Amino acid sequence: MTDARRARYVALFASEARPLLTGARRALSQWQDDPTQPDGAEEIFRALHTIKGMAASLEFTAAADLAHATETTLSTVRRGDQVATAAWLRAFEVALDDISAACERAIADAGGALTPADQHAVPQGPRIVRVDLDRLDALLSDLGSLITARQELERRAAADRFSPTARAALQMSHRLDTLQDRILDVRLAPLSEVFERIPPMVRDLGRALGKDVAVDVTGNPLEVDRAILDQLAEPLLHLLRNAVDHGIEFADVRRAAGKRPGGRIAVAARQDGEAVIIEITDDGRGIDRDVVARRAREMGILEDDATLTDDGLLAVLERPGFSMADTVTDVSGRGVGLDVVVARMRDIGASLSLTTVLGRGTVFSLKLPTRLGIVRALVTGIGDERYVMPLTHVIELVAWQPDLVGQQDGRAVLFVRGEALPIVDLRRLLLYRGAEPPARRPAVVFEANGQRVALLTDSVHGQVDAVIQPIERPAGLARWITGATVLDDGRPALLMDLASVV
Amino acid sequence: MAQRILICDDAIFMRTMIADILSGAGYEIAGEAASGLQAVERYKTVKPDLVTMDIVMPDMGGIDAVKAIIALDPNAKILMCSAMGQQALVVEAIQSGAKDFVVKPFQPARVLEAVQRVLGG
Repeated sequence: MTDARRARYVALFASEARPLLTGARRALSQWQDDPTQPDGAEEIFRALHTIKGMAASLEFTAAADLAHATETTLSTVRRGDQVATAAWLRAFEVALDDISAACERAIADAGGALTPADQHAVPQGPRIVRVDLDRLDALLSDLGSLITARQELERRAAADRFSPTARAALQMSHRLDTLQDRILDVRLAPLSEVFERIPPMVRDLGRALGKDVAVDVTGNPLEVDRAILDQLAEPLLHLLRNAVDHGIEFADVRRAAGKRPGGRIAVAARQDGEAVIIEITDDGRGIDRDVVARRAREMGILEDDATLTDDGLLAVLERPGFSMADTVTDVSGRGVGLDVVVARMRDIGASLSLTTVLGRGTVFSLKLPTRLGIVRALVTGIGDERYVMPLTHVIELVAWQPDLVGQQDGRAVLFVRGEALPIVDLRRLLLYRGAEPPARRPAVVFEANGQRVALLTDSVHGQVDAVIQPIERPAGLARWITGATVLDDGRPALLMDLASVV
Repeated sequence: MAQRILICDDAIFMRTMIADILSGAGYEIAGEAASGLQAVERYKTVKPDLVTMDIVMPDMGGIDAVKAIIALDPNAKILMCSAMGQQALVVEAIQSGAKDFVVKPFQPARVLEAVQRVLGG
């Protein structure tokens, strides 16, 4: 929807919702004068229904939800399931006030019911405040605690959805969602902060190596979270150094291959829903997959003789310790230190893919989240340590019993309703040497990469909305640990990427 | 010639939104109605190719309006516009002769798809 069109709809919403609510209040007061004459119920119902539809169309979620809940409550009276006592009518009056307030807030948040012309009337530049990232981190961490507290409140409020407490909880919940969005928005920084370092870097490196390299950068204004941006610079510049150093050929080699003597690199960023995709394209020599495959076979990483696909090639190159010795890098294009790049990308929840054509060039594609995640996660324990895993992968929890465990193809398996699931013991993954495991251990059944696995833990401690922070990555830290969070009791917990455990 | 559509909804907001979606796709808005009674009257005068019909309206609801229009013209093509949670009413409308339905909040692609389906069938 264009801004101008949206502004017009917001103005229409304001001009229709307000009289509808006034009419509904008038009908309600007549009804309150004589509770045996519910003639006004029909008019109130239509008003709520119309407001709900309009608010939902504008994504005014708080107003739409309140109108829907109130309409549902009114239906119970219209059907005769509930008697409209004086107390009920008073509660209903408060509900109408709440809807009115939610509508006014939504109208104000949407820039007021101004005409598009009014909006352009007061030109004003941005006013900037510099804030230390630590302060924003503290804000985010407090938000995490609030979200945890909200879950408890919602659980209690669920007992009686029409109680004043439940309505207050619903309103608070919506405000909290808005607050979360705003805090995450404040943390956004433009890609230009990293991108503006690219042209001088490429130019200097090209000059030092005696190569003529032109670079074209697009997508500067796109924004990502400050913490993600800070982690992005190093791997991105690393990929570019590789492209200049190993990708782009010397002018004489390029001429002999029928190419322009000067090499070209393009860095292009674009928005893809909630993600940003950055593509780094060079027109250099490309990566020689046969050479990489040969080297991988020598090292025992690769067993079959099949030609490497782009994904397969990346899987080999990103292996920690896969070394492209000097002689090899010269003929293979790029691939130095990709393991480091990929590890950094994982830390910020990003992914990397690669396309290469021998003699023509290579494209690396980075897919970055734009905002730090708040992830619905399951909390599990090993001894006193806590590990959280996103619920997106979790299927169920199974109480472990000795007779459910068996062997299949030489692997320990857990039988869950007849299906034999391979067992992964979190204690073993962690090389945990603390206290002895409890006698009965719960298993988390999860699915990742098309495979179901039973992950044995010591204990399960419920669900949280975890605010995930990127972590510094000391040498030797398992690659499936991708972030950290603080639980509501103040305990730190590490985030597991279940897909990399499989 | 562009196909002509009569839009029935008690909210100007909703009529505007539907009109924007349909006229953007090249349909002609033949008329608008803000109640069931108006819908029936306008149907007689503008003879549209298709009617979009809200369910909850004052002075005769959408379902009674469907029954009245079908009584006038058994071949009338009517698309119901319902909110979530009105499945029972949608079923009643379809049994009364409406051809299809879309659910609010409207997604332009869904609305156009349904309009094309009803006009085509």
